Amino acid sequence: MTVLSDAPDGSRIGAGGAMGRLRRAAREPLLHFIVLGALIFAGIMGVKFLQKPTVSIAAQDINQLVEYWQLQTQRAPNKQELAAIIQGRVDEELLAREAQRLGMDKDDLIIRRRLAQKMSFASEDLGDAQPSTATLRAEYDRTKARYAAPARVTLRHVFFSADRGGDAAHAAAVAALAKAQAGVDPAGDPSLLPLTYADADPEALARDYGPDFAKTATTAPLDHWIGPVQSPFGYHLIRVEGRAQQITPPFEDVQDQVRENYLAEQRQAKNEAFLRKLRQQYRVNVAGVSP
Amino acid sequence: MKRSELLGRVCGAVAVGAALSLLLGGAGSSATDIKLATATSAKRAPPSKHLPGYSTDRNAYFGDLHVHTKLSFDAYIFNVRASPDDAYHYAKGEPLGHAGGFDVRLPTPLDFTAVTDHSEYIGALQHVGDPKDPLHSLPIAQGLFSKDPKDIQKAFNTLVEGYEHNTLPAAFRAKPIIAEAWKEIQDAAERNNDPGRFTTFVGYEYTSAPDGRNLHRNVIFKGAKVPDAPYTALESNDPENLWRTMDGWRSHGVEALAIPHNANGSDGIMFENTKRNGQPMDKAYAELRMRNEPLTEITQTKGTSETHPSLSPNDEWANFEIMESYIGRAKPVTHFDGSYVRKALKDGILMQETKGFNPFKLGFIGSTDTHNATPGPAMEKYYYGKVGKLDATPAQRGSVPPKGAKTWEGYKPDPMTSEGRFQQWGASGIAGVWAEENSRDSIYAALRRKETFATSGPRIRVRFFAGYDFPSDLLKRPDSIAQAYAHGVPMGGDLLAAKGRTPKFLVWGLRDPQAGFLQRIQVVKGWVENGVAKERVFDVGCSDHLTLDTSTWRCPSNGATVDMTNCAPSRFKGDVELRTVWTDPTFDQRQRAFYYVRVLENPSCRWSTWDALRNGTPPAPNLQPTIMERAWSSPIWYEPKT
Repeated sequence: MTVLSDAPDGSRIGAGGAMGRLRRAAREPLLHFIVLGALIFAGIMGVKFLQKPTVSIAAQDINQLVEYWQLQTQRAPNKQELAAIIQGRVDEELLAREAQRLGMDKDDLIIRRRLAQKMSFASEDLGDAQPSTATLRAEYDRTKARYAAPARVTLRHVFFSADRGGDAAHAAAVAALAKAQAGVDPAGDPSLLPLTYADADPEALARDYGPDFAKTATTAPLDHWIGPVQSPFGYHLIRVEGRAQQITPPFEDVQDQVRENYLAEQRQAKNEAFLRKLRQQYRVNVAGVSP
Repeated sequence: MKRSELLGRVCGAVAVGAALSLLLGGAGSSATDIKLATATSAKRAPPSKHLPGYSTDRNAYFGDLHVHTKLSFDAYIFNVRASPDDAYHYAKGEPLGHAGGFDVRLPTPLDFTAVTDHSEYIGALQHVGDPKDPLHSLPIAQGLFSKDPKDIQKAFNTLVEGYEHNTLPAAFRAKPIIAEAWKEIQDAAERNNDPGRFTTFVGYEYTSAPDGRNLHRNVIFKGAKVPDAPYTALESNDPENLWRTMDGWRSHGVEALAIPHNANGSDGIMFENTKRNGQPMDKAYAELRMRNEPLTEITQTKGTSETHPSLSPNDEWANFEIMESYIGRAKPVTHFDGSYVRKALKDGILMQETKGFNPFKLGFIGSTDTHNATPGPAMEKYYYGKVGKLDATPAQRGSVPPKGAKTWEGYKPDPMTSEGRFQQWGASGIAGVWAEENSRDSIYAALRRKETFATSGPRIRVRFFAGYDFPSDLLKRPDSIAQAYAHGVPMGGDLLAAKGRTPKFLVWGLRDPQAGFLQRIQVVKGWVENGVAKERVFDVGCSDHLTLDTSTWRCPSNGATVDMTNCAPSRFKGDVELRTVWTDPTFDQRQRAFYYVRVLENPSCRWSTWDALRNGTPPAPNLQPTIMERAWSSPIWYEPKT
C-alpha cells in the first residue's frame, strides 16, 4: 500500500490539505481496480453462500431403495422408516461428496480397485451379440478335450500283504505271477479294499494304492497279469480287463457349456485388447525400473 | 471378480424371489406341508443301473456330516464368509480361502458330506452384517462384526447369551431369511451331488443347550425332499419334540435321522436315564428315540466322547482327546456319567434287561464340526483350527508360547482362557460307512443300519462281523467278506442267541496308506452280569508278529515311538492290516452284551506338537505330545433268549 506516498505530483502535497488528497486518490485508476476486485470477490462469496451445492435424490433413487428394503423385510416401510431410509441415503451422499471435495478418493486402494473393476467390466462388454452355432461348433472342435469325462478302468488284482514280513510278499507275488502266466488263476491274501474294480477312476486308485498301481491300471495291456506292483499295503498282480478312454460328449450335449466358455474367452480377449491399447496411450514410470 | 459378483447378485435376487414365492405360496398351507425340490441334476445316472464302483461286499466311503458355513451365526461372527457351495467344493479337493487369510486344501478328498448349519438364526448374520441392510442399524449389530479376535469372542458371547435368554430380535429369524438360507443349502447340496463320485446330504444342526448343557444334534435328510424349514431349538429345546416332528415329516414321506454330538459337553444329560422332562423312560420313548437317532458322533474337534478315564479306569487308552468343558464357554463339566457313549451303551443294555427297552442302541460316526466351511480337515500335521479367525494361528490355539516367547517358562495353563480351551481340541472326526456305492440311497441306508465307523482322522478301514458258521478258512479266502455277510451280521447289527453255540467275530483293520501303521486291534465288550453292566477291553490282534497274552488280553509293546525333533515315527513298526477271528473267552449265552472294535495306530505327533515344531519351540508342557490315532466300529449287540 504505497499509493499515497508515491503520488506523482509531490509538490502539491503541502498546499492541497487532507480533502484534496482524498479527492485525488479517488481519481486514481489503481484504486478503482482494487475496490472493484474486492467487490467482485465479495459478490462471488455472497453468491456462493446463497447458492449452496445441491444434493438431489431422484424419485427413481428412492424407489430403488424402498424396493431393496422391501426385498429384505417383505413389507413396505412406514413413514418413519421411509424417512430413515432417505436420511441414510442423503447422509451417505453428503459424506461421499465432502470426501471427494477433500480429495479422499485419490490414492484410495479400494476406490481405485473398484474403478478398475468397473472399467475392466465395461471393456469386456460384448453387447447382446450371440455366437452362431457354427462359431460354437468351431470352438467345440478346438477345445473338446476339456469336456471329456475321465478315463475308467475295470480290473482285478491279487494282493500280497506286506505283513507277511521281509521279502515274503514280493516272493509270493513273483511265484503267483509265474503260475498265472502258466494259466493258473493266482491267489493271494484277502483285502479290505475291493479285489475287483468296475469303471474305477484312476485318480481314486492312485489315492488308495499309489502312482505305480494307477499307472499300471492305465497303461497295462488288456487281459494280462502284470506285476508285482508295490503299494502302501504290499504287492499286487494286476489284470486290466477293460478300459474306457476319455469319452468326449457330442457337441449337442455340451452346447451351453461351450457357449459360456466361448463368451468368457471373448470377454477376456476384449479386455486384453483394451489393456494393450491403454498401455500405448500412457507413459508408465515405475520407480527403479528404466522405461 | 466382477462377473462373479454380478452373478452372485443375480443369484441372490433369484433366491430372494424364490423365497418370496415360497412365502406367498406357503401362506395358505399348513406347517407340515412338504416342499418337493424340483431341481434335477443332469449328472444323475439312470436308477436301474449300478454306479461305477458298485460292490455287494460294500466299499468304505469317508465323509463329514458336521460342517458349518457362513450361514451359521457363530461362523459368520468368526469371519467365515464361505458358502455351502464352497464347502462342497473344498470336500471335493478344491482350495478355499480361510478367514485367517491363508488358503487351505484337503489332500485326500471326501466321498460324502453334509453341510449342517445351526438352524437357530440361520442365515441372519450375513444380513445383520450388511451395512445396507436395515437389520444392520439395530443396536445389537454394533460391534458384532470385528476382525479382532477379542471382539469376535465378545460378539459370540453376546449372541449365545441372547440366544439362551431369547433376547435376540425376532427379525433375526424372519421367515424370508430362513427360507433364503434353507434354499441355498438345498441348492448347494443338489448342485454338488454327483452319484458315483461324491454324495451330498441336505442337513442342519438342531442347537439345543438347556443351561448351556449340550444337546446338539445334526439332522440329515435322505433325499431332496425336506420340510419347508428346519425344526429348531427355538421351538423346543427338548429333543423328544424334535423326534416327534421327524416322525411327522416321515409320515409325509420326508426321511431323516438325527445324530447327537458332543455328549462330552452335556454335563451328564445327553444320555441321562430319564426323559428330558424328568419323566421315566418307557418303551414308546425308546422306540421314538431309536427310530430317529440310530447313530451318535463319537469324536470330533471338540473332543472324543467314547469314554472318560474315570468311567473306564481299566482302559489304558481311554484318555484320548478328552475335553472336560461346556461347549462354547469356559465352564468345567462335572458329570461324566451321561456324557460318554460307552456308559450309555451299558445303560442301554441294562435297561433292555430290566425294563425291556433300550434307548441307547447307537452306531458310531465321527465328523469335524468345522466352522470354516471346510469338511474333513481332521489332520494333525495340517490342523488350522475350527473357529475361523478365533483359532487361526498357533498362538491363538495355545500350541506355542504366548507373546512370541521361545520357552514355556512361567507359563500357567488356564482352561478359562480361549487358548486354554482351544488347546484341548483335537484334529479329529471322520465318518466311515460300508455301502454298495457312492450314492445318497446307498450311504443313507448304511447310516440307517449302523454299518458305520468313526475315525480320529486317518482313513482307517475297519470291518466287524459276528456269526456262528463262518468257514474255518475265513481269513485266508479271497471271498472272506462275502462269507462273513452270508454267515454273520455286520457292525450295527443284532446277533441272536443260538442254543449251545458260541459266536465268532471277524475283526479287521486296514491302515490309511497316507497315515501311520497299525499297532493293535481291540474288542470293547459291555455286558450285564447279575443286574450290573460291566465293560472290558480285549486286545485281539497284535502287530509285528507279537504274541497276544491271553491271560491279560494285552499285546506286548511293539516299541514304536516318535522322534520329537521331527515328528518322524519309528521305522518298521506296526502293520498294514490287523485281522483275526476272535472268540470271546468270557462269553455266556445268557448275558446280554455289546461288542465294538477299536483299532489303534502307532503313536504320532499331536497337532499342537506339529505347530510347536514349525515354530521352533518345545510343545506345550500341559499337552500330550503324541496321540494314538484310532478307528471305532459300530457295535454288534448280542441278544440272549428271553
